[in-house]
Amino acid sequence: MSKVRVKAKLKKGLVNVKALAKHPMMTYNQAEKKTGSRDNANFITHISAKLQSNGETVFDMSTSQFLSKNPIFKFKFKGAEKGDTLIMTWVDFKGNTATGKAKIR
Amino acid sequence: MERRKFLSLTLGALALAVVPASVRAEDFRKSKPTVWTAKTVDDAIKNLYGSTTFIDKDVKLKTPDVAANGGAVPVNFSTKIPAKTVSVFQDSNPEAAVAVYSVTKYDATDYSIKIKMAKSGTITVIVEGQDGKLYRATKTLEVALGGCEG
Repeated sequence: MSKVRVKAKLKKGLVNVKALAKHPMMTYNQAEKKTGSRDNANFITHISAKLQSNGETVFDMSTSQFLSKNPIFKFKFKGAEKGDTLIMTWVDFKGNTATGKAKIR
Repeated sequence: MERRKFLSLTLGALALAVVPASVRAEDFRKSKPTVWTAKTVDDAIKNLYGSTTFIDKDVKLKTPDVAANGGAVPVNFSTKIPAKTVSVFQDSNPEAAVAVYSVTKYDATDYSIKIKMAKSGTITVIVEGQDGKLYRATKTLEVALGGCEG
């Protein structure tokens, strides 16, 4: 269920990345309303992307519960070549992780 | 002569200490836990950077003026400043912090995300430059339908 869909496209020296993480992003108040306990809140806390060729991190973000449900992340970075693979990983509040990969086109 | 030597030595040491910090990725959830529980934008910024002095320029922030759906408000922001971190806050939810990016050397500092807003409010984007100064952009928008019940 949980996964990351990634698209990466090289354009004028910049790689344009679109990533979709499938996650409910439940805030504390939503959790209280729906399940009766604030402890059921769960959301992505950290998402990062790295290149497969050299293992370098190109994108790194700490997040809170106020991202939308199934959040989309868009960002640009430089210094990568066509054909390299971008690996994105997120970690959520409960410690679950998911990874998605995409070849840079 | 003595003092001149001392000055150049300390300056060199400072420069050395600053460089590695700019290329290191950081999990701000672990290193700055108080940022995420702060109720106001000012408190959150103070907890993150220790200062609330801003320069209001060189940060581009784009959002719709009226968001039809508060559950997913698109926010685009970018800057040409060589940055260490970029952070996003809003004042319409119970807590203020939305996200903190640590900028890598590959980064083009051009991001876009979708955020939740319970009601109309102001989005604040702070860019911490490598010069240590804080650059800010704010945008107030109306939310027609609050999306996330907080």
